[in-house]
Amino acid sequence: MSTAPAGKEKSKTHKLSLKGSSRLVAEFFNYSINTILFQRGVYPAEDFAAVKKYGLTMLVSSDDQVKAYIKKIMSQLDKWMVGGKISKLVVVITSKDTGEPVERWQFDVQIFAKPSKKKSSSKVPDKENSTPANEAAPVEKTEAEIQAEIQSIFRQITASVTFLPQLDGDCTFNVLVYADADSEVPVDWGDSEAKDIVNGEKVQLRSFSTANHKVDTLVSYRVG
Amino acid sequence: MATQVSTPVKSHTGLFSTRTAGGRMPLTPSPRTRTAAMVNNNNNNNNSSPFTPERKTLDNERVATKSVYGGNLSSHFQKSTSRTSHRDSPKSNIAKGVQTPRRALELGVSDFALTGTGGKTPSSKSSRKGPIRQKSTKTTVSYGDRFIPNRAASSAIATVGCGKLELGDKSRPNSSTGESSAVLSSAADDALAALGSLSLNDDDEPSTYSRPSPNTVAYQDSLASACGVSLNQRILAFKPAPPESSKPVDLRSQYNRPIKNANAASAQFRRRVATAPERVLDAPGLVDDYYLNLLDWSSGNQVAIGLERNVYVWSAESGTVSSLLETSPDTYVSSVKWSGDGAYVSVGLGTGEVQIWDVEEGTKLRSMTGHDTRVGVMGWNKHTLSTGARSGLVFNHDVRIAQHKTAELVSHTSEVCGLEWRADGAQLATGGNDNLVSIWDARSLAVPKFTKTNHKAAVKALSWCPWQPNVLATGGGSYDRHIHFWNTTTGARVNSIDTGSQVTSLRWSPHYREIVSTSGFPDNSISIWSYPTLVRNVEIPAHETRVLHSCLSPDGQMLATAAADESLKFWKVFEKKAGSASSAAASGSSAKADMVKQMTIR
Repeated sequence: MSTAPAGKEKSKTHKLSLKGSSRLVAEFFNYSINTILFQRGVYPAEDFAAVKKYGLTMLVSSDDQVKAYIKKIMSQLDKWMVGGKISKLVVVITSKDTGEPVERWQFDVQIFAKPSKKKSSSKVPDKENSTPANEAAPVEKTEAEIQAEIQSIFRQITASVTFLPQLDGDCTFNVLVYADADSEVPVDWGDSEAKDIVNGEKVQLRSFSTANHKVDTLVSYRVG
Repeated sequence: MATQVSTPVKSHTGLFSTRTAGGRMPLTPSPRTRTAAMVNNNNNNNNSSPFTPERKTLDNERVATKSVYGGNLSSHFQKSTSRTSHRDSPKSNIAKGVQTPRRALELGVSDFALTGTGGKTPSSKSSRKGPIRQKSTKTTVSYGDRFIPNRAASSAIATVGCGKLELGDKSRPNSSTGESSAVLSSAADDALAALGSLSLNDDDEPSTYSRPSPNTVAYQDSLASACGVSLNQRILAFKPAPPESSKPVDLRSQYNRPIKNANAASAQFRRRVATAPERVLDAPGLVDDYYLNLLDWSSGNQVAIGLERNVYVWSAESGTVSSLLETSPDTYVSSVKWSGDGAYVSVGLGTGEVQIWDVEEGTKLRSMTGHDTRVGVMGWNKHTLSTGARSGLVFNHDVRIAQHKTAELVSHTSEVCGLEWRADGAQLATGGNDNLVSIWDARSLAVPKFTKTNHKAAVKALSWCPWQPNVLATGGGSYDRHIHFWNTTTGARVNSIDTGSQVTSLRWSPHYREIVSTSGFPDNSISIWSYPTLVRNVEIPAHETRVLHSCLSPDGQMLATAAADESLKFWKVFEKKAGSASSAAASGSSAKADMVKQMTIR
């Protein structure tokens, strides 16, 4: 009898594996990109479909081209995330007229259980050993708690339209990734500048963390 | 200052003054003045660039000073002071004291005690460079001061400056007159030699300046590290261009509520209109004919309705119904109309006969003939009754006299189905199955004042605006569906509404700036429009079949509609606000009771 509740407890607080955590973070990126594209009007509202996620109604692009584009990004992001190669994901909204970045959504990724100092994916087995040593860092959270954290980030992103300046003219977007220097780079990806907003205003939004990752959200935007 | 110094006699004062002047602009080694001074010098000396302190000019200058010293001292002073006015005042002072040019060089060293003090004041002024200069060695002092700024400007801190300064020292003599350059003294040779040796340094210097790359790289490194940019990190961008947006996005429209049109904007101010009928009565046998006018509400608050061969009168006050008349079996009632005082009702028959009945008595007063065809519409103007017939003719009858027909209005070529007198009786509007609207001046009925051909279908609905006497609203039939508004003084069409369905009647509200229209197919509805905004305030799905007739209660609040579904419905479409409304509400729920109250209020 006593095992059953324990099992339940376990399942409730079950710790995400690094892989699962990476997936979760990658999935969060996916919805973030979609949400930003919708909220900031990069694509018309009718191109988005409502999906239930994180206890919210999320809007996900239903345009085939956009979907394919994001999917390509996400497939690579997944790999990098699992490999622990990424420290930042940035969605830059650029004015089509001037080509200048007008808004920059930055998601900082901290990996608690870094596989190894060498950061090579081949060291995955080592990571299993090293994780116990690192477990001090993250406080264990239930999935519901993580969900709630993510939910509040999306609420913030949605609410941010109230303070973000009106985007004038047509805008497009780019996805940047701060990756380790030794990561494998597919052909579709290339070095880029940071596309920082010059003299921009910055607003730190909420964070969420899993057992292995912590993601901070920051939006910077051009003033005036 | 220059004038003071000019004469040797005044040397004391001159010295003094120049000393004090040391604190002033000329002596301040602030980069600005320095450069300015240098430029001056260079201008004097062949316009050479400030960065390459050519030996030649220096020589010349050097020589010049010497020669000057050797020559006419006073004149030299004049010249030197006047030309190179500011920069070397302390020097010149000292030089004055010491006669030999040769010693001038050495003196240069000893001078520093003096110039040094002078130099201090500037140093405080010249911020960071000051200390460096002071440190750089005492020997360099004044001239060094002059050089540094340029270098500092051209490149980084350049500790090389020290050595340079010395060079500068020498190379930078009291620049003076070009005239004296001709005279060369032995001292000049010394100077030349010294400069020659320095020149090596000079060569080095430019090279270091010209390639500041290592420095800057180092800078960038340090900057990068300072900014926390990690070098073992790459910023990668997903290269393919994102898909084009299918259409321009205006966030304003996405987030803001759509800019409200006049309709929506007035929503919060719009009054509520009861969309349920107050009362429904059966109207069995109501002829489903668009061209007839079988319903009217009297000023005495009685509703007359023609149902096939009968005319019934329903008293809104008592709720009682009485049958006023029944026609002979060979005909039917084609129109009913109350006289203005509400005492009489005129009844048009299919045969063309027009009867006038006293409702109180329930007796027929008279029968007027003249029309050969059915009389589909009638209108009272005091004692004049106008009747429109299927033939297209409109007759005016004076009901008081035997020869009742007073006028024959010829305009329509097809059945007249709409006829309305203006409240003041000055104008008469008629509408017919020939799609015409005719507006008549009561004083000259030979021809219509205006004939309007805008409607594309029969015009049955006509209504005069109660608050703007020269505005007439007319509504067209199924093919037309429009309501037109006319200025009957000028004949201009002032507004139009496409209602989307056959307009069977129009009634202006006496209280609100609104007009109500009733529709046939496909809506069978009652619509209330604001005027002149022409916004549809409300649309009530009123009947199951087309609404044939409508009329307003004498207090203007209630609309009665009769439809082909053989029902008579009462709608409180123009309910009065606040005070009167509350009293009306208190009076009870039945339309009859309301009516009583309102009528008494009225």
